[in-house]
Amino acid sequence: MIEDKVLETGANEKKAFEEKPVVLEVSHLTKVFDDSQTPGEDEDGQMGNRVIEDLSLQVRKNDFLCILGPSGCGKTTLLRCIGGFEDYEGSIKVKGAERRTPGTDRIMVFQDYNQLFPWKTVEKNIQYGLKLKGIKDKNEQKKLSDQALETVGLSGYQKYYPHQLSGGMKQRVAIARALSLKPEIILMDEPFAALDAITRNTLQAELLRLTARKDWDATVIFITHNIQEAIVLGTRIMVMKKGGEIAVNEKNPIARPVSPASAGYGDYWNRLHAALYTA
Amino acid sequence: MEAAVQTAGSEKKKKRRGTFAESRTYDILVKVIFLILVLVIWETVARAHVFGERSEIVFPTVEAIAKAFVSNFVTGYAGTSLIIYTLNSLRLLLRGLVIGIALAFAFSGLSMISRTFSNIYNLCVTVFDLLPGVALLPVVIVIFGVKTGVIVFLVVHSVIWPMSRNVLDGFKAAPQIYVEAGKNLGLTGPGLLFGVYIPAAASYIVSGLKVGWARAWRGLIAAEMVFGIASCPGIGLYINQMRTNMKNAEMYATLIVIILIGLVVQYGVLNPIEKATVKKWGMVS
Repeated sequence: MIEDKVLETGANEKKAFEEKPVVLEVSHLTKVFDDSQTPGEDEDGQMGNRVIEDLSLQVRKNDFLCILGPSGCGKTTLLRCIGGFEDYEGSIKVKGAERRTPGTDRIMVFQDYNQLFPWKTVEKNIQYGLKLKGIKDKNEQKKLSDQALETVGLSGYQKYYPHQLSGGMKQRVAIARALSLKPEIILMDEPFAALDAITRNTLQAELLRLTARKDWDATVIFITHNIQEAIVLGTRIMVMKKGGEIAVNEKNPIARPVSPASAGYGDYWNRLHAALYTA
Repeated sequence: MEAAVQTAGSEKKKKRRGTFAESRTYDILVKVIFLILVLVIWETVARAHVFGERSEIVFPTVEAIAKAFVSNFVTGYAGTSLIIYTLNSLRLLLRGLVIGIALAFAFSGLSMISRTFSNIYNLCVTVFDLLPGVALLPVVIVIFGVKTGVIVFLVVHSVIWPMSRNVLDGFKAAPQIYVEAGKNLGLTGPGLLFGVYIPAAASYIVSGLKVGWARAWRGLIAAEMVFGIASCPGIGLYINQMRTNMKNAEMYATLIVIILIGLVVQYGVLNPIEKATVKKWGMVS
């Protein structure tokens, strides 16, 4: 039905992009934290802190959705609900199936780069997920983990323990772990925010290079505070306001590869900035 | 510019090599010299007969203690070598440790699954951890009688509570991010316990092992001294027998055996475990 609507609008360019099937459907999502968790943040005098109120959202196959929003607007909460880490009201469906608990169809890459298991080597960290997913053959595990590490440029680091790697390298392994599991959706919660500016730029460029690969078929939801990061990485850009209100949700109009010199970059940056910082 | 870089480089090198006072050889040398010094002072006091006629009993010469050390193992007491006593003690200790550690893991694991059990078990750990095993000994003897099982029971008692406290604390302190990453990979229930909580608590478990072992070793010796029956020969009993027979050199020699066993366990068992786990994983600094 949604596809029909797109056809009606008749925008051919849009059609090619938006015809892809809906992978994630969030409808009427409401998330309330009870008072004990966030005391004194309620403005409406209601019980609890309503972080997200009646949010609906669709994400299509191959979208790279960047969510921008001020601190406390509920973007991390939204991601955690999608990941199955929080209880919620409403419904979250992945390929039509309701999801309320974590699973390997939605893999989270956290902001904290200490998300790898320190007691496992780099390759075992990746292979562990594969094993749990049901790939029991050791050779197959090895092949897939090697592939994933090669994808993120860490071939040769198989036998290292996480504490022997830099923060940026750990995030690469976390991304490799996510990719190797071939999830429907990769959820990234400011994965580069804890890194220094140079590493951050390098990893942005690498992620971009990955998404440009022919065999890239992942769908990504990527949370960031950084407008530049959103414009560079996102195929769609969403701006969230307090209470989980969606102020902007549109296709990224800037042609790739994006740099500050790209046509329209300045205007678009200003528009997002305004959307982000006006009440 | 280049010169500056070079100086910085050579400074770095110097720092890495370190002075003799910072070297490992120095650390060992200090300890060895201290040990020799203690022996020299001991020998001086022994030969000076500081305690008059009691001196030979209170301060036997180093030579006498060394001879006693050998004779403890060769002739022993009443035809039984100290080796038999020691092996018997270690056998009971090992049995108790294995049971105690296994129970600590089992109960701590159950505490993660059931909230009710967790409440009760935490209370038990707090209460019984305060109760020295030796204080429990009379009660246990009244109930179970004089059997070697009683000593095993006491070792279990000494190890289970501190071990459980550490394991429980370790589970509680497991970083949420590992737990969520584990759940994300599809782990639930026992899978999460074995796949995430136990390895994440590794540093707590290792320190639990250290405390547990130390308590068990002390508890065992104490229990054997109080217990004191020939049908259950142990190191604690041996010391007591040496005391009643006024064989003080043998008594000191037995103390050395106790210390040596402690060192062997510390450096031969516990440190390698630590090295192969938490140190290798970078979970302790």
